[in-house]
Amino acid sequence: MSQTIRIQLERYRPEEDSEPWQQTVEVPYHRDTSVLDALNYIKDHVDPSLSYRWSCRMAICGSCGVMINDEPRLGCKTFLREYLDAGELRVRAMDNFPIERDLIADIGGLVGHIESVDPFLIVDAERPLSEGENLQTPLQLERYEAFSECINCGLCYAACPQFGRNPQFLGPAAITLAQRYNLDSRDDGTPRRLAYLNAEEGVWSCTFVGYCSEVCPKAVDPAAAINQGKVSSTLDFVQRRAVDPVSTEDG
Amino acid sequence: MAEPYVKRQPAGWWLKNPAYRRYMLREATALPLFAYTLLLITGVYRLSQGEEAFTQWLVMLRSPWCVTLHVVALAAALLHAWTWLQLVPKILVVHTNRLRVSGTLIKRVHQLGALLGSVGLVVLAWLFLAQGGS
Repeated sequence: MSQTIRIQLERYRPEEDSEPWQQTVEVPYHRDTSVLDALNYIKDHVDPSLSYRWSCRMAICGSCGVMINDEPRLGCKTFLREYLDAGELRVRAMDNFPIERDLIADIGGLVGHIESVDPFLIVDAERPLSEGENLQTPLQLERYEAFSECINCGLCYAACPQFGRNPQFLGPAAITLAQRYNLDSRDDGTPRRLAYLNAEEGVWSCTFVGYCSEVCPKAVDPAAAINQGKVSSTLDFVQRRAVDPVSTEDG
Repeated sequence: MAEPYVKRQPAGWWLKNPAYRRYMLREATALPLFAYTLLLITGVYRLSQGEEAFTQWLVMLRSPWCVTLHVVALAAALLHAWTWLQLVPKILVVHTNRLRVSGTLIKRVHQLGALLGSVGLVVLAWLFLAQGGS
């Protein structure tokens, strides 16, 4: 642990600072030192006032998302050894969210969007328990399984310039979650979810930048989910127009 | 209580990250194609003005800037087509309760279609020119 690497942290303490400022720290590293380990080292040995979120250390809880050299990444899944050539890491709170404190982004907008898409199974008729399990084939599971792997870390929102421009845009994770249920063979809630997926802040605000899928630590591919949502939205529009040409005139 | 700090998205948000630059390049392919469309519309307009006007337009097509526009528009069209074909399997998913078609196959079929369409167009144009020349 004799070698060190320089880490530039963007700090913001709402009680004292009017805007973010930079703090540079030298941190010893080993082959298996993650950025989260480095932040813990700084907190324990250099500056206990540093604030950041973390919990599981294994890319499951989705708490430790930060910008590392301008890329949205999980601190626990990113290792200092990847930056030896660059010689320096720049770490700041996730882009496109308000900064709560230091490396902590206020992800309230993301949570609100996720809550707003009815992310649960909706059934037209309640199944009595006597009917047993609501079975699904492996092929039916496969259709939405990748979209169900989301850990709500928010990296896709930090990667999305459309969300950065308009925080009302439902964004990658929320729309992916809506698609996850729309594609579930046990779910009947698609018409209800299409109401807001069809809206301006729904799938149509996406311009397929595709960076959300590149940064996703769980290979969820939200860009695919959103753009498949555009196909569903288009089919819905055509079907409704075929059934009732008048009521769909104004959208 | 102190408020969270809200950063505004800077105008140059796309300059720092290669993924954003690739995206902007893809979107920018629309510009040379727009210019090329205007050029073709001008041709139709000049045709409506008579043979002499149309011949002047044909001569103008041979000017260096016009040849450059054609080369840029062709490059833009090819780049746009390539990115389009890359994204097709993400959007077009054939996955029913009984049938699942792989994304690679869907992409290959589209690539084949694009190739056949392009070659077919060149052959048609060649036949048309050959007929016009005889």
